[in-house]
Amino acid sequence: MSTNTYDAIVIGSGISGGWAAKELTEKGLKTIMLERGKNIEHIKDYVNANKGPWEFEHRGGRTQKMIDDYPVLKRDYPLNETNLDYWTNEKESPYTEIKRFDWFRGYHVGGRSLMWGRQSYRWHDTDFEANAKDGIAVDWPIRYKDLHDWYGYAEKFAGISGNRDGVPILPDGDFMPPMEMNVVEKDVQKRYKEFYKDARHFIIGRTANITVPHNNRTNCQYRNKCWLGCPFGAYFSTQSATLPAAMKTGNLTLRPWSIVTKILYDKNTKKAKGVEVLDAETNKTYEYYAKIVFVNASALNSAWVLMNSATDVWEGGLGSSSGELGHNLMDHHLGVGAGGRIEGFEDKYTFGRRANGIYIPRYRNLNGEKRDYIRGFGYQGGGSRAGWSRDIAELNIGGDFKDALTEPGSWGFGMGGFGETLPYHENKISLDKNKKDKWGLPILAIDAECKDNERKMRIDMMNDAKEMLENAGVKDVQTYTSEPVLGRGIHEMGTARMGRDPKTSVLNGNNQVWDAKNVFVTDGAAMTSAACQNPSLTYMALTARAANFAVQELKKGNI
Amino acid sequence: MNLNINRRAAIRNMALILGSAAVLPSCLNDKGKPVVQLKKLKIDAAQETLVNNLTETILPKTDTPGAAELGINLFVFKMIDDCYGQEAQQDFITGLGDFADAAKKALGKSFNDGSAKERAAFVATVDQNSMNDKYKDDTKLTAFYKMVKDQTVFGYTTSKYFMTKQVVYELVPGRYNAYFPVKKTAAV
Repeated sequence: MSTNTYDAIVIGSGISGGWAAKELTEKGLKTIMLERGKNIEHIKDYVNANKGPWEFEHRGGRTQKMIDDYPVLKRDYPLNETNLDYWTNEKESPYTEIKRFDWFRGYHVGGRSLMWGRQSYRWHDTDFEANAKDGIAVDWPIRYKDLHDWYGYAEKFAGISGNRDGVPILPDGDFMPPMEMNVVEKDVQKRYKEFYKDARHFIIGRTANITVPHNNRTNCQYRNKCWLGCPFGAYFSTQSATLPAAMKTGNLTLRPWSIVTKILYDKNTKKAKGVEVLDAETNKTYEYYAKIVFVNASALNSAWVLMNSATDVWEGGLGSSSGELGHNLMDHHLGVGAGGRIEGFEDKYTFGRRANGIYIPRYRNLNGEKRDYIRGFGYQGGGSRAGWSRDIAELNIGGDFKDALTEPGSWGFGMGGFGETLPYHENKISLDKNKKDKWGLPILAIDAECKDNERKMRIDMMNDAKEMLENAGVKDVQTYTSEPVLGRGIHEMGTARMGRDPKTSVLNGNNQVWDAKNVFVTDGAAMTSAACQNPSLTYMALTARAANFAVQELKKGNI
Repeated sequence: MNLNINRRAAIRNMALILGSAAVLPSCLNDKGKPVVQLKKLKIDAAQETLVNNLTETILPKTDTPGAAELGINLFVFKMIDDCYGQEAQQDFITGLGDFADAAKKALGKSFNDGSAKERAAFVATVDQNSMNDKYKDDTKLTAFYKMVKDQTVFGYTTSKYFMTKQVVYELVPGRYNAYFPVKKTAAV
């Protein structure tokens, strides 16, 4: 047996890749996980995790040089001094924007599992049935019952804290104890409940931060520095959770600096026999062979790998026979909401920095309601007390001003919407063959936009936010909105969708590529619709389910 | 749990030992040249002193340290030098001149030659104007002042002194108290 031969190959080491590696190795498969970027070792490489805010040269801000170096990242909050190394070098890895698309990437071991927002929600049959009921795109090949047990399996291992709220549209999970709402959030919740009864819900966020010790991980210490990497391993990441589990089996090989350039497709067997890897440091090319290939390179890059594979058989690449590879790009649209002032509670503050907020699950277009758009949206938000950099009424310089800076400001409450985007065939990515990245590889061209349905939904997203906050007693409510930009939700989905028919989908109901049954895609690319919940928990469940299926099929000799 | 507590303490201590990062290198003061080393901003010693005096006027030493003692002036220079765009930096330079001219007119002497009291009186007027949306003049004085004040306040409220002595910043809070009573020394 060649030293380059394994039972399974996993392309990518983020949330879904880590899960694939854990599941496959725990089932006894010798597995190599290929990561295109550098290694980041748990705890040791979280170089900024234990710094006080004053230890950053620009106190966490952004310099002109950073702004020049990161023309995409600068468009939103991710560009900052504290975890700059976790974001992809845009000069080395450019992409073409046929329309503006904010692609915020992390090319390193752990991928965006290190920087993710950690909100973790189950989907509901409303979501899985949506395309069929609306008669758009294609039907999901699975339903909630197919994922139910796998959601529980994923939650129990990842460690999701949350309250069993009994909200029909947002199924309860196997949760750790929830985080607590602060005094103002509880007050808003009380009035909200009085007003909306059971029609709408206001709940504590369900987050992949553990609230009790779990698998040698320390419970959350309320530092709110998650995206620097957590020295306590208190939030789910590849490094804190799936990688150690996979390593423990003795079956995992992790290879950083490994850009998978293509999947090696065997025309005779109609299966993949392995992958070609370009070593990002040495520029040498290697081949690795395996019986199973899991593609978890993140939605856009998973499609990129497929597009570059088996082009001698299909011009558009492996999985392109349906004409859907690279199409149906989705995200969640956001940047719209409201906020206001809370009266009272001057004698109360919060101690500790809770990396979580409140959540208002979807309530629109349910139970027979029909708005002038389809689908819906949820809100994330929270109550907080303004910091110390505030102005006092009269004199804003001098000793008294200096003293006033130590006193907390007034309480506020704000929330922003996360809206579902529809799967439009024409929202797509393709290879831009005229431009190359640092390694001479073709780059992606992205051509996607929000359309009428999203724009109409955003009117509700803004007005509902104001109305609900006012009904819950928040004062001086101000709304905000913005031009909807895809990518900004950092929830890319749909570029190799699941379906029931090989003519209209790239993957079947077990995440197998129709055109190569031993190739599985289980990251955001697989999504047939976007729902409005944060998607990562669903990737975890899909991946564990697909890995289980893959191993069964392997044992049966079917792949 | 003991292990956990020890680890927390260790991390906290480590953070204190590491202390605050050096804000800016400095060199010997040649006559007319500023002490601070700046990459883009071009200023002379008098202008540097003016900004130093302005930060100290905004946040003067009282029974607690002021801007100068805490090196906030250096932070202000660093931020404007590193983080502001060309246009804003030009406004800073132009506005600095406008500020010096207006101070001279108001005080009958340079801002640097004024007493702390005289400087405070002048800056109070500038500050009021800067808060008034309707106030307009054809100089960059207000733009300059806002930059300096914003960074002075930001630098102070994120300084090690402020975050460890004025408000208690816990690197590892360890818990979340949703009903924390406000005391004289607040927690972050």
